[in-house]
Amino acid sequence: MKKFMPVEELARDERFNQITQADRMADGRVALLADSEKSRRSNRLTPARPDASEAARALMHGIFVGEIQALEGAGRTCWDFTTGEEAPFELKLDMARQAWDEARHVEISLKLSDWMGSEIGQYAENTVLFQAACSNDPVLRLAGVNRALEGLAIDVFTTMKEFGELAGDPYLEFCEDWMFADEVTHVKMGSDWLRKITENDPERRKKALEFQGIVDKMFSYGGSRSDSEESSFAIARRFRELAGFTEDENDHIADLGMQALNERKAQLREKQAAASN
Amino acid sequence: MTLTVTPDTYNFVAFDTAYTARIAEHMATQLGLDDIDILIAINENSALTRIDIDVTDSLITIAPHSGAMEDTRRPRQQSELNTTITMARGMLRARDRLRGGFADAPADTELSLPQAAVWDTYIMGRIAHMDIELNKQAWIYNFRNRHGFSDAVDAVFEQVWNTANATWAELSALSANTLSVTA
Repeated sequence: MKKFMPVEELARDERFNQITQADRMADGRVALLADSEKSRRSNRLTPARPDASEAARALMHGIFVGEIQALEGAGRTCWDFTTGEEAPFELKLDMARQAWDEARHVEISLKLSDWMGSEIGQYAENTVLFQAACSNDPVLRLAGVNRALEGLAIDVFTTMKEFGELAGDPYLEFCEDWMFADEVTHVKMGSDWLRKITENDPERRKKALEFQGIVDKMFSYGGSRSDSEESSFAIARRFRELAGFTEDENDHIADLGMQALNERKAQLREKQAAASN
Repeated sequence: MTLTVTPDTYNFVAFDTAYTARIAEHMATQLGLDDIDILIAINENSALTRIDIDVTDSLITIAPHSGAMEDTRRPRQQSELNTTITMARGMLRARDRLRGGFADAPADTELSLPQAAVWDTYIMGRIAHMDIELNKQAWIYNFRNRHGFSDAVDAVFEQVWNTANATWAELSALSANTLSVTA
C-alpha cells in the first residue's frame, strides 16, 4: 500500500467538491458584518446572529469533513512510518485510538448535519486539514495534526457546544461535549509525544513548533479564530490549558489569529478597492 | 412592468445577469407580480446569504447578497436552485407587504429573530408547495433555534409551513404564543 499519500488522492465520491485554502483565500468578498452594524452585533457564532442557523450548518459540515481528514491523518501516521525506528509502537497505538475516535466523530457529525438540515457535500470541502498531516516527519505531523488541528477542534467544539446551550438544542450541546472531550485527549497525546520524542533533540522540537505556528496561522482561516469579536470563534484558553498548551502558547495562537484577521481585512480592502476602480 | 437586474458584470462571482433575469421574470409571473416594476440589485461584494427588500407602491427592490444565490459546493458559482429560491423569497416577502395583510409588519431590520423566523417559515412553506426543491429540515431547525426545541414548537412550525394565507397579526401572535409556552 502506498505511503505518504498526497492530498489530491483522498478518496471521495461524487457528492464532495474539494477546494484548497488558496481557493478560499482568493474569494474577495466580505463575509463579515459591515462597519455600521458592528456596534450592535459581533461576528461570533452565537444564536443571536441573524444568519445563525445557516452559519452553524456550514460550520457543522466543516467539522464533518474535518473529522474525515483527521481520521485519514491519524490513520496515515500509523501506516506511513516504520514502527520503532521512525515512530514508537505506543505512538502508533495512540494514533489508532485517535482514528477510532475520529470515525465515531464522523458519524456523530453526520447525524448532527441531518438534524440541522444539511446534506453530505452540500458545502465545499477545504482540504487544508489533511495538508497539515502530510509531513514526512512524525513529530511535525504530531505538531500539525494533534496540536494545531485538534487545538482548532477544541476552539470550534467549544463554540458549537455553547451555541447548542444558548439555543436550547439538547443534541448539539450533548454531542459536541462528548466529542470535545476526545479532542482534549488528542491534543494531550500530541503534546506528550512531541515532548517525549524531542527530549534530546531541541532543534527538532524547535522545527516542530515552528511548523505548528505555520499551521495554526493557516487554521485561523483568515481571522475566523481570534480573541477579536470580529472572528466567528474564540480561542478556548481554559480547555487548551487542560490539553497541555501553556499560557504563552495560547497567547501566541491568539496573536497569530489577530495577524491573520488583519491580513485578511487588508487583502479584502485591496480587492474591493481594485474592483471598484 | 419592467424587471431590471444589476450589475451587468461581476468582479467577485461568476453570475450571469441575463440568466438571473430569466429566473426572476418567471418567478414574478408565477407569483402574480407582473404588474409592478422590479429591481434585482445583487450585492456581489458580500458573501452573506441575506436578502434585503424595499417595497413601494410602484417598485419592488430585492437586493440579495451573493451568498444567497451561490452554489455552496462550488464557491462563487451561481446556483440555479438558490437563485430561484432567493427570487421567490424576496418576491413573496414583498408581495406579503404589498397585498398580503402585512402592512402593519415592522421593517425587516426591526423584526425580532423569532418574528423573522415565523415569517420565513410561512414563505418557505409556500415555496415548498410550489414544488421547488428545498430542505425542510433546515427550516425546522431555524424555527426551533428561535422558538425552542420541543414537540409543541414543531407542531406550530407544521401549522405555519402548511398555511397558504396568513396575516402578519396572525403570524406574530403565533410566534409570541409559542415563545410564551416554551419560556
